[in-house]
Amino acid sequence: MTAVDFLNLLIAAVLLAGIYAVMSVGMTVIYGVMKIVNLAHAGFMMLGAYFAYEFFERFHIDPLIGAALALPAFFLFGMAVHWLLIRWLPKSDQPTLSSLLLMFAFWLVLQNIGYLFWGNMDRSIFTPRTLTVLTLGPISISLLRLIVFFAAVLCVCALQLALSRSWYGRAMRALIQNPYAAQITGVDDERIARITFGLGTAFAGFAGALLAMLYSFSPDFGRPFLIRAFVIIVLGGLESVSGVAFGALVLALVETFSILYVPAGYQPAISFGLLVVVLLVFPKGIGGLLERKWRPA
Amino acid sequence: MPDSQPILLQVERLQVKYGNSQALWDVSLTALSGGITCIIGANGAGKTTTLNAIAGVLPVQSGKIIFAGDDITCLSARQRVQRRISLVPEGRQLWPGMSVEENLLMGCFLPQLRSRAQTNLARIYDLFPRLKERRGQLAGTLSGGEQQMCAIGRGLMSDPQLLMLDEPSLGLAPKLVQEIFQLIVDIAKQGVTILLVGQNVNYTLQIAHQAYVMELGKITLSGPGEMLLKNDHVRRAYLGIAESPGSAENPA
Ligand SMILES: Nc1ncnc2c1ncn2[C@@H]1O[C@H](COP(=O)(O)OP(=O)(O)O)[C@@H](O)[C@H]1O
Ligand SMILES: [Mg+2]
Repeated sequence: MTAVDFLNLLIAAVLLAGIYAVMSVGMTVIYGVMKIVNLAHAGFMMLGAYFAYEFFERFHIDPLIGAALALPAFFLFGMAVHWLLIRWLPKSDQPTLSSLLLMFAFWLVLQNIGYLFWGNMDRSIFTPRTLTVLTLGPISISLLRLIVFFAAVLCVCALQLALSRSWYGRAMRALIQNPYAAQITGVDDERIARITFGLGTAFAGFAGALLAMLYSFSPDFGRPFLIRAFVIIVLGGLESVSGVAFGALVLALVETFSILYVPAGYQPAISFGLLVVVLLVFPKGIGGLLERKWRPA
Repeated sequence: MPDSQPILLQVERLQVKYGNSQALWDVSLTALSGGITCIIGANGAGKTTTLNAIAGVLPVQSGKIIFAGDDITCLSARQRVQRRISLVPEGRQLWPGMSVEENLLMGCFLPQLRSRAQTNLARIYDLFPRLKERRGQLAGTLSGGEQQMCAIGRGLMSDPQLLMLDEPSLGLAPKLVQEIFQLIVDIAKQGVTILLVGQNVNYTLQIAHQAYVMELGKITLSGPGEMLLKNDHVRRAYLGIAESPGSAENPA
């Protein structure tokens, strides 16, 4: 491999990592605060893709603007879903079967709504930008991927900033790190959970809209990304934005550079294989990374 | 402290269960405004349970909690913080991955308290210069004594009327233990009512205006601190001393 190939792959990996981070971070905040593994995340991503698609097809709105609009729209949608469904789940400091089943069922419902409206045909969003390539000497970068990367990184950084600086962000982290202590300082866990679910959904919708610019999609869209999000979350630990960024980078590097060694047909197995390896290295898996040192009296 | 002080907190025949096992049986106690009220008792007696019930984090089976004249038994933990009840819990319960300053700021998380965050923060830093030095450090990296200061600081951030402290000196060096008790006396002098659970029975009873002995989920004895210090049962069970000076005829 020449140095130029290496650089090209490295750039491709970093650009991919940005997308991976933005699509995983929503699951992470939801898991952290509520201990719910949001299987419906893929469904929200799929809706996000069609959201950008509809705005583009009907009103000729640039999909980037569509993605930006998805943030507030899916935030409200997520809060509504929490209010209608999630808040009735029994509270727990561990993932429960009932929450897994509910989220899985909800994913199926979203998928079928997708089939109802858009059929099973693959769609894609094609703009003049789609095929533009920037060249810097021997290095070539897809303009669209670069734009998507910056949009993703901007949003992840904004989330990190909000989590570290605002009252709600602090309360969210307080709930993640020690729910009992959060309770005795007057944190309203249900309200924080609702906002968190809104945020997680907003990021899912946003990520879906961004991905829709790069890939074609159908109502089943999101499934391959869900498994990647799992890998990233297991790699980076479930409770921090920086952990997600780290996990996203590792997965993107492995996936990108494996092109050199692994036949294309086996590509989808990589994230799965990585998941297995990580779980072997951290035998306690997700639960081990999350082990609470303390339980409320 | 004069007895004419009004009652700030009145707990009446409190019963608390964990599942099927009952932890508190008919616990009644009162805390006079501005005073130091203490609960002592062996491990597992129900002291922490009592404080958690008063803070509103544990549901109450029956009984009443009356605070400043209002029945607060059915209020949420958040509403009790609003009424200026503050708990410095057993084991500090800080957020290890948040900075000292963030931990303190969470003490005035409630919207109506936020406007005083900076004023109160400055006050806490005056009280604990060590915390000011370490304001940016993660709470999980503090020493035990510093963590306790941080926990007390967080409890004070909401300008509490009632400050409950659960074994604040646990695991601290003797010199620090003394400092913490002095601090509690100082806080009380500023008009904050204290409800203290102490495993250091000697110190605890010395500063207590009123003290309760709790055994197996029941209050078995109560009285002014100095009176319990002289009580034979207390001396034998909690101070490891066989007899009081006035009862030399009792064999060890
Ligand atoms: N979370 C809990 N679940 C079940 N039982 C508990 C729990 N916490 C405390 N207990 C029980 O309640 C009793 C009182 O405990 P606690 O209030 O912690 O005592 P203390 O603070 O006086 O040491 C003990 O018998 C203890 O085993
Ligand atoms: Mg205790």
